This record gives sequence, structure tokens and C-alpha cells, in this order.
Amino acid sequence: MSVADTIRQFILSRYLPGESPENLQDDTPLRSSGILDSLATLGLITFLEEEYRITIEAHETDVDNFDRIADIEAFVERKRAAQQEA
Amino acid sequence: MDPYIDTQQEELQRAAIEFARGALGGSRVQADREERFDREGWRACAAFGVLGMVIPREYGGLDLGLTSLLAVMEGLGYATRDQGLLFSLNAHLWTNSIPLLLHGTEEQRRRYLPRLTDGSLIGANGASEPDAGSDIFAMRTRATRDGDHYVLNGTKTFVTNGPVADLVVAYATVNPKLGATGITAFVVERGTPGMTVSRCLDKMGLRTSPMAELIFEDCRIPAANRLGREGRGVQVFECSMEWERGCILATCLGVMRRQLETCVAHARSRTQFGKPIGKFQAVANRIVDMKVRLDTCRPLVYRIGRLKDASRPAMQEAAIAKLYVSECFVKSSLDAVQVFGGYGYMTEQEIERDLRDAVGSTIYSGTSDIQRNIVAASLGL
Repeated sequence: MSVADTIRQFILSRYLPGESPENLQDDTPLRSSGILDSLATLGLITFLEEEYRITIEAHETDVDNFDRIADIEAFVERKRAAQQEA
Repeated sequence: MDPYIDTQQEELQRAAIEFARGALGGSRVQADREERFDREGWRACAAFGVLGMVIPREYGGLDLGLTSLLAVMEGLGYATRDQGLLFSLNAHLWTNSIPLLLHGTEEQRRRYLPRLTDGSLIGANGASEPDAGSDIFAMRTRATRDGDHYVLNGTKTFVTNGPVADLVVAYATVNPKLGATGITAFVVERGTPGMTVSRCLDKMGLRTSPMAELIFEDCRIPAANRLGREGRGVQVFECSMEWERGCILATCLGVMRRQLETCVAHARSRTQFGKPIGKFQAVANRIVDMKVRLDTCRPLVYRIGRLKDASRPAMQEAAIAKLYVSECFVKSSLDAVQVFGGYGYMTEQEIERDLRDAVGSTIYSGTSDIQRNIVAASLGL
């Protein structure tokens, strides 16, 4: 499963039970639309750290990295690549 | 036989009742009037083991489990009139001892837990702010990293134990734009330059539990005193609140039991219109409601004990317990005043004080409305 689909599945099951997956596209705003409040964002961050064994610092959790599934996926891929290089 | 605690826990509860009748007994009318914190009572409770029952032995605790502690707390609530002291003990346990145990580094645990457990340190919680109460994550207190320190600036209010605290678990944001993901927890020791008690707060109830406003002004905290990761203070806070909401009302169960027994005795002995007032349905029904509330509250609190003793989450269950028990506690406290009539309204009878103390239970650790929000969210609403 792609990172994007894993994120989508987590958000749907945890924060949008019963919602159709079609309504959660890669470019759907999550934080600016209120789908994820800051507590839910923290829940997602914790999930990503455990799922992909990455460490996400506080300053990286701003809306630039965490508003759309596509942005989050790109961020996760960058973190994974950086950790593999290190 | 009690359906919620085993025989050993029943014995502990009886011992707690006997202890409290001796060490914490007597009238608290004057102490309430003077907002006097009972330091001797605090030490006695620590010596009895109250502060160590859920702490592992390696950190000076007794490792008896949460259900045992809840049974003891219920016993203390039954036998002492000093609900303020019990509130202070609760604040200390759920906002300092438990977060340090579950989120602290090994060094932090070894440094603080033995002294939090033997009562030589008193813990306080610095979370609420003048403009961040229910909306707690809107806090403005800033933590700015400066080398191997953080510099804290801001104001904390409604800090239980604030005036007497040796240790404050304080929350601050490293960047307000990050919201919850910027909040970070710190352990601040009494005497740290830049942390001051700006004023003591006068309350309606729980007056023997001191409360204050704290100011952090360029207060430098070693990074080693950060509790949990930077930006993960919400996890520490939520952990603290889960335990606090689920457990803080165990003492109130004891008060409700005492109120019930006192009201039954009064209704049987007080005669009006030629017969005991308990023979009037209006009075009897009120007392029956008190009994029903007590019997429906106890399983909710002891459910938290069972869940936590099994290392299971209890966020929803804790919110339900907090919501229901606090609302019942207020109603039963008001009913007790009504059963006693004019005597219940008099300060010297120590019945009206339970009502003043009870009102706070629907506010502290998250108001009843916030508890409903938590349960609604857990239902996917």
C-alpha cells in the first residue's frame, strides 16, 4: 500500500468513520478545512512515526507539511530518504 | 461483600477510614474559613502510603495498583471533612507522579518520584492560562530554546497546590502557530529564578487546597527537565488528564456515602408534624435518589481502576466517570442540604461545605461540557 493510501486509511478509520474514501483525495485540505484539528494531527504524526520508523520534530509539523495527503506523503518520503542516507 | 473491590482492598479501605478518623479527623470549619492547608495531614497521608500506592517499589512506592488506591481514596473521602487536602493529593498524583512515571526519563524518575512518593515534594500543574481554559492548547506561555536550556515566559492560573508546591509540571509552546504539536511539558523546581507565585486565589470550595497564579519571566529550565519530547506535551497532558478524570472523584464516592448515611440517620431521628421526616415521601425520595446516584457512580470509577491495572486506555471511560460522578455529587450534596433544612445551610454543620466543594468537580479537570465533547469524539461524532 502506498504511503498516501496508508494515510488515507488511517484518517478515515480514526477521524472520519463512515466517510467515503472518494471524499478524501490527495489534495483535500485536512487542517485548513477542519478535518484534522491539532490533536488529530498529533495522532497522525504519532502513527507515521511508528508506521515508518521516522522521527518528526515539532517544527516540522506546520501546515506546509501537514495539510494535504500528497504533502504528507512527500514529507514522509523525504524523511525516509534522509534517514536511509544518515 | 463489595462487588467492585476484593477483600484485601476492602481491608485497605477500612484501614484508610480508621487512619483518616484519627489523623484527618475533626472539624474543618475554621481551616476552610482561613484557607489553611494541612501540611501535617499531607505528611500523614504520605506516611500512610497514599502517594505511593501506584508507584513501583524501585521509586519508593508500594506498587499496589490503582483499584487499591481508589478504594483508599473512597475511604478517605468518607472519613475526613478535609476535601481540600484530598484534592491536593489528587492533583499531585495525577499531574506530577503519573506523568513523570509514564513519560519521564529514568533520571527524572529517580530524581523526583521517591520524594513525590514520600511527600517531601508537593507537586502542582501549570496548564491553564487566563485565556486558555477549556481551550487549553491555545496556551500562550512560550518556551524558547537557548542552548541546553529553555526559557519560559507566560502566566499560569488555577494552579492547584501552587502556593506550596516544590515542583510544577508546566506546559508551554515552542511555537504558537503549531497548535497542539508545539506544546511541550517541563518540570520546574521551586526556587528556579523567574518563576513566582503572583497571587493566591480565593475559591468558593476546596478552600483548604491552596491555588495560585504563577508567572514565568525569563525562567531558564535545563533541557534535561523537559518532560517527554519537544512538541509532545499534549501526550503528557492527555495522559495526566485521563488518570485525573478517572480517579479524582473516588474521594467524592466516600463523601456521597457519608452524606447518605448522615441523611438517613437525620431523617429517622428528626421529627416534624409528629413523625420522623423520613416518613414523608418528599424526604425519603430525595434520599433514595442519593442512594441510586452512589450505587451508579461507584462502578464507573472502579472501572477505571480495572482498566488501568490492566494497562489499558480509558479516555472515554474516564470522561464518562468524570461527567456522571461530578454531576451526581453536586445533586447529592444539594439534597443533603435540603434534607437538613436550615441546619444544613449553617456552616458549623459542615454539610453546606460539601456542596461548595462539589461544584468544583464539574469544572476542574475539564468541565462537564468538555467531558461530553470527549465522549462525542470517541463515538465518531
